[in-house]
Amino acid sequence: MDQIIQTIIIGLSNGLIFALVALGYTLVYGIIELINFAHGDLFMLGSFIAFVLISLVFKISIATPLPALVLTILIIIAITMLATAVINASIERVAYRPLRNAPKLAPLISAIGMSFVLQNIALLIFGPANKSVDAVLPAVNILAAFGITTITISSEQVFVAVVTIPLLVGLTWFVSKTRQGKAMRATAQDPDTAGLMGVDVNRTIAITFLIGGALAGAAGVVQILYNNTTVWNLGFRFGLNSFTSAVLGGIGNLQGAVLGAMVLGLINAFSDRYLAANWTNAIVFAVLIGILVFKPTGLLGQQLADRA
Amino acid sequence: MSTQTRPVEAGLGGWIGYLVDSALAVPGAYRHALSRRPARTVILTVLIVFGLLYPVLNKEFFQPFNRGSSFPLPFPEDAVVTFMMIFAIMAIGLNIVAGFAGLLDLGYVAFYAFGAYTAAFLASPHFGSVSIVLFSEVFPGFPGIHLPFWILVPLGMLIAGTFGALLGAPTLRLRGDYLAIVTLGFGEIVPVVFKNLSAVTFDLGPIHLVNANLTGGNLGINPIDRPSFFGIGFGASSGIAAVYLGMILLVIAIVIARNLERSRMGRAWMAIREDEVAAEMMGVNPVRTKLLAFALGASFAGMAGVFQSSYQGLTTSDFFQFSTSILVLIMVILGGIGNIWGVIVGAITLVFVDKTFLPYLGQRMAAVSSDLPNPSQFNFLIFGILLVVMMRFRPEGFIPSRQRAAELRHAPPGQAIGSAGTLGDAAVAADERADSIAASQEEAVLAEAEAAATEESAADSSPPDDERPPTTPGDNP
Repeated sequence: MDQIIQTIIIGLSNGLIFALVALGYTLVYGIIELINFAHGDLFMLGSFIAFVLISLVFKISIATPLPALVLTILIIIAITMLATAVINASIERVAYRPLRNAPKLAPLISAIGMSFVLQNIALLIFGPANKSVDAVLPAVNILAAFGITTITISSEQVFVAVVTIPLLVGLTWFVSKTRQGKAMRATAQDPDTAGLMGVDVNRTIAITFLIGGALAGAAGVVQILYNNTTVWNLGFRFGLNSFTSAVLGGIGNLQGAVLGAMVLGLINAFSDRYLAANWTNAIVFAVLIGILVFKPTGLLGQQLADRA
Repeated sequence: MSTQTRPVEAGLGGWIGYLVDSALAVPGAYRHALSRRPARTVILTVLIVFGLLYPVLNKEFFQPFNRGSSFPLPFPEDAVVTFMMIFAIMAIGLNIVAGFAGLLDLGYVAFYAFGAYTAAFLASPHFGSVSIVLFSEVFPGFPGIHLPFWILVPLGMLIAGTFGALLGAPTLRLRGDYLAIVTLGFGEIVPVVFKNLSAVTFDLGPIHLVNANLTGGNLGINPIDRPSFFGIGFGASSGIAAVYLGMILLVIAIVIARNLERSRMGRAWMAIREDEVAAEMMGVNPVRTKLLAFALGASFAGMAGVFQSSYQGLTTSDFFQFSTSILVLIMVILGGIGNIWGVIVGAITLVFVDKTFLPYLGQRMAAVSSDLPNPSQFNFLIFGILLVVMMRFRPEGFIPSRQRAAELRHAPPGQAIGSAGTLGDAAVAADERADSIAASQEEAVLAEAEAAATEESAADSSPPDDERPPTTPGDNP
C-alpha cells in the first residue's frame, strides 16, 4: 500500500512538470493548429539555461541560507522563463509565421527541423554527456513532520508543486479573464473573424508563443532542481510525453492538458515501478496512438480548437 | 513515352511480353529523347555511365584523390555508394507515401527495421536450435534458418507492407498532423520491441516460451548471411559486387515506383492528395487508396532493410532511430517531393554529405586546429537548418514535381490561418504569395504549351490545335 502511494506521489510530481510543457503544446495547437515539435527541446534548453545559472552564475548550493536560496531560485526562474519565452517567439517569427498560409504539414516539418537545431545547439555548447548540478534543496521528508516515515514526500516534490501550481492557476486566469486572453480565445476560434473584429492576430500568436515558452522555461528549472541532471536529447522523449498529455486531455484544452499530464505521470511511474522501465516509452506511445485513433478529442474534449 | 504497347494480358505471359516490349522500346525512346531534348539527354547519359563505372574505377582512380589534399571534394567509398542505394530505395518508398499520396509518415524507419529483421531471423544462425536450409547456398545442416537473398527481398517487402497496412488501417482516417504523430509513435515502438524481446517468458495455450531470446536484444543479430548468387558473395567484404547489387535493387525500385505512379492507383493517390472530398466524389475509395500507398511505400523500406542487414551482416535496434526517419524525409523534401528522380538525387546528396563530406571536412578542420568541433557530430544541425530553410524558401525541393510545386505554393482557403491579419505584414506576404502563384502557374502553362508544341512538331502528324484551352498545372496527365 505504501508503495502504491509512493508511486502515486512520484507520478503526480512528474505529471506537474509534464503539465507545464503540455500547456505550451496545447496553447500553440489551440491557436494555430501546429504541433510545435520543437517545444520539448525548448524545455531542454530551459533546463540548460537553469544549469548555467545555478552552477556557474549564482553558484547556489545546499549550504546557501534559505531566504537567499528562495530569492535566487525565483530570480533563476524569472531569467529562464524570459529567455525561453524570447527564444520561442523568435522561432515562431523565423520558422512558423512565414508558413502561416502554407499547407498544414509545412510548419510541422519546419518545427521538426527546429527541434533538431535546438538539440544540436545544446550538443554543440554542452557536449554529449549528462550535465548535473548538486542537490540544492535540503533532503528532508516533509511527511516526517506528521509522524509518517514509510512514505516520502521530498522537498523537491514540494518545490515542484509550489512552482507549478501558481503558474497553472495564473495561466488559467490569464486566458479566461484578461483582454489578451479573450483575444487568444477569439483567434483560436476563428483567426479571420478575430482579425476583422480588431484583434491583432500576429501579435496574439506571438504572445501565445511567449507564454508557452515561459512555461517551458519554468519547467526546465523545475526539472533540473528535481532530477539534478539534464542532457541534450532530453527534450525529445519528454516533449512526446508532454504532447501525449496534451492529446490525452483534449488538445487545445488547458484543464485537459493538466489532467492528461497527471494521468500520464501516473502511467509513467506505475510502468517504471511495476512493469519494466525499458517498456515505459513503448507504453506511452501506445497510449498516444490509442487516443489519437479511438478518441482524438481526448478526455475533456477540445475547447479552444473545435475544428477536428 | 510514345511507344505502342500491346494490350497487357494477365499472368506471367503478359508480364514477359510487357518486359520484352519495354526493353525493345528503349532504343527508340532514347533516340526520341535525344532529338527532343539533346542537352538534357546527353547530361543524363553521362551521369548514368559515370554512376555505372564509378565502382569499377573507384579504388584505382578516384580514391587516390582523397589522399592528396589538393582536390576540393572527396570521393565516396564503395560502402557509402551502397548506402546511397539503400537510402535511395527508402526515399522512393517514402515518396510514394508522402509525395504521391500526401501522407506524412514520421515513423518510416519502422518498416526498414521489419525488412532488416526479416533477413536477420530467416538468414542467420540466430535460431540455432533448428536447421532449416531452403534453396540457400549455406551448407545443409548449418544451424539456424537460412533462406536465400532473392527470397528474402520479396518476403521482407511483403512483411513490411503487411505491417504498413496494419498500421494504416486504423489510423488513416486521422488528419495529416495526427497521422504524422501516430506514425512517429509507431516508429518509436518498433525498435523498443526489437530491443526488449531478448528474454521472453510467455505461456499461453500451446505457446510456451521460457527466457527466449527472440531478437538479440541490445546486441542485435550478428552474423547474417551475405547475399550470394551462384557462389558469388555480395556482402560488404566483397567490394564492388555489393554496389552493383544495390544498383540493381534501386533500378527495380524505380521501375515499380514509375509504374505505380502512372497506374490508376497512382492517379488516385494524387487525386486524394489534392482534394480528398472531390476525389471521393469521383469514385476514388480514399481508405483503400491510402492503405495501398502506406503498404506499398512500406514495402520499399522492407527491401532496403533486407539489403542493409544482408549487406552489413548484422543488425541492431540502434540502427532504427527517429533521426533516420527524418533523414529520409529530408532526402525527399530536398530532392523534390513527388518526383522520383528528385528524391534519388536527394538521397545520394545527403548520404554523400553525411558519410563522406562531413567526415572529410572534419579531418581538414582537425588538421587546422584540434579545438574545432567535429562536423559529422553535428550533421543534424545542418539537416535541421536545411528543413527549416527548405520549408521557408523552396518547399517543392530542388528537382520539383510541377504539380506538387503548384500545390505547395498555395493552400486551399480553409487551411490558411491568419490570412486576414490586421498587420500589413501578413497582407503583403499574402500578396507576394498570390503573385508568385500567378507567376508559377503562368510559367507552368507556358511550359506546357511549349512542350505540346514540340511534341506536335516532332510527331508532325496533326495540325496544331490553336483553340486548345490552356491547361492548368493541376490537371495535366
